[in-house]
Amino acid sequence: MILFPEGVPTKHETFEEYCASGGYEALAKNLSPAAILEEVTSSGLRGRGGAGFPVGKKWSVAAESTESSRYVVCNAGEDEPGSFKDRVLIEHRPHLVLEGLALACRAVGAQRAYVYLNETYEYCLNRISTSIDEARAAGYLGRLQVSIHRAPTVYVAGEDSAALEVIEGKPPKPRQKPPFPATVGLFGKPTVTNNVETLANIPPIVRNGVSWFRSYGTPDSPGTMLFCLGAEMNRPGAFELPFGTSLRQLYEDFGGCLKDGAKLKAFLPGGPSCAFLPEDRLDVSLDPESLKRVGSTLGCGVMRFFPERACMVEETTRIANFFAKECCGQCPACRMETSMLSAMLERIQHGKGDPALFNQFEKIIDFNRGKGFCTLVNMPGPPILSAMRLFRGEFEHHLQHGTCNA
Amino acid sequence: MPCKYVLVCQNEDCKSRGSGELLEQLSQKLKSDADVEVKPYMCFGGCQAGPNIVLYPQKVWYSGVQQADVEEIAQHAEGGPVVDRLTHGVEQPLKELIYQLLDAGLF
Repeated sequence: MILFPEGVPTKHETFEEYCASGGYEALAKNLSPAAILEEVTSSGLRGRGGAGFPVGKKWSVAAESTESSRYVVCNAGEDEPGSFKDRVLIEHRPHLVLEGLALACRAVGAQRAYVYLNETYEYCLNRISTSIDEARAAGYLGRLQVSIHRAPTVYVAGEDSAALEVIEGKPPKPRQKPPFPATVGLFGKPTVTNNVETLANIPPIVRNGVSWFRSYGTPDSPGTMLFCLGAEMNRPGAFELPFGTSLRQLYEDFGGCLKDGAKLKAFLPGGPSCAFLPEDRLDVSLDPESLKRVGSTLGCGVMRFFPERACMVEETTRIANFFAKECCGQCPACRMETSMLSAMLERIQHGKGDPALFNQFEKIIDFNRGKGFCTLVNMPGPPILSAMRLFRGEFEHHLQHGTCNA
Repeated sequence: MPCKYVLVCQNEDCKSRGSGELLEQLSQKLKSDADVEVKPYMCFGGCQAGPNIVLYPQKVWYSGVQQADVEEIAQHAEGGPVVDRLTHGVEQPLKELIYQLLDAGLF
């Protein structure tokens, strides 16, 4: 595969091991910024942090800026519930991430880079700082300055502009856009923020070429993606699979199905902000286009599977409460929406609401759509509305009896 | 007709503009009236126009309320006239959304 030779993380690679397997060859090719940008653009690589924005496009905005000082930020804030792929990548292949960061800096003409690292990732901190020292000593970083900045573990702190606020020493609050960070970013300068996994794809692309990269995945979504399976599975972990692989294969062959032989009821294919899909959608392909066609999203690749006995009202309420808690509070619409949705679901769960509440969810979500600096305001809608559509009986039973019939 | 509920928004914006004090003062003023209940509300979504207070089931929305307005609002709650100057702060669609939620029992 592209990120892990065996498709799963195996060993904690050393600097020597990385170099022996072709590491830093991409950087040593000494390609011009334009040549790197061209490779990455034609590879069709899209961001792996959840939004799926074309990487070449983001880079070229910064590269074409008239401002001479520019920054690249490696976003390892990773605070999406259930996601641990960035941690796994840095723990196992820190030099792959670092080489990707250095290539990104060369492509966009940045002299300074930041690794914005989840503050609880102690071992990663150790791995990445050692790697920076090793790469510098070997002369791979040239004049590039790489600093590590600790990311607070609140959900919005992983949003790209909130990350820039934190690096500037301010509270983790998303900025109003436009301007986008690639134009006006860190300290007002053009800044490219890429997810860890996105950057880890860069050295293999530059080293092996576009057609090699495109031999993985689908024409619309080339390459692979790391998928995180949680503790409800027989084999939890991070699995690298080409886009277009069947979700059933991930669920059955890699994850080994749900524990204790439990029957699958539904799944969330892209973290807490995506729409639930029922068990009979398991044959969908793992790529953004296919997921979109069946009404959900792939997000950053966090998969959650729910057994027959799971209470979908409780699961949905938990998601709504999560967004209410993680709302940073600066946008009125988001504050109102997240607190309302959570209060309404609590009512239904405990059998204290009026059936008229059911009709209000869509209205609140429609009313507030897009009214925020970041996209958090849009996040509770898909899981809540899909759960209420797919499991309406469970919601009605809860509302009537305050208990579960699942 | 006296209202049943005086709902005082207690979300960040309204609170930073003194809705905590408004809640306290209205509760104090109306505590002897057994028919009227003064309650905190999580958020009406009219944050820019806060502090917001909604009288229910009359569905009268007061925004930009100051301590000087407390007396008149309390009088309205007990059946007095509507304080018209405070009713124009937020758009009708937001009002309707919130009134529907209140009708659905969300308070």
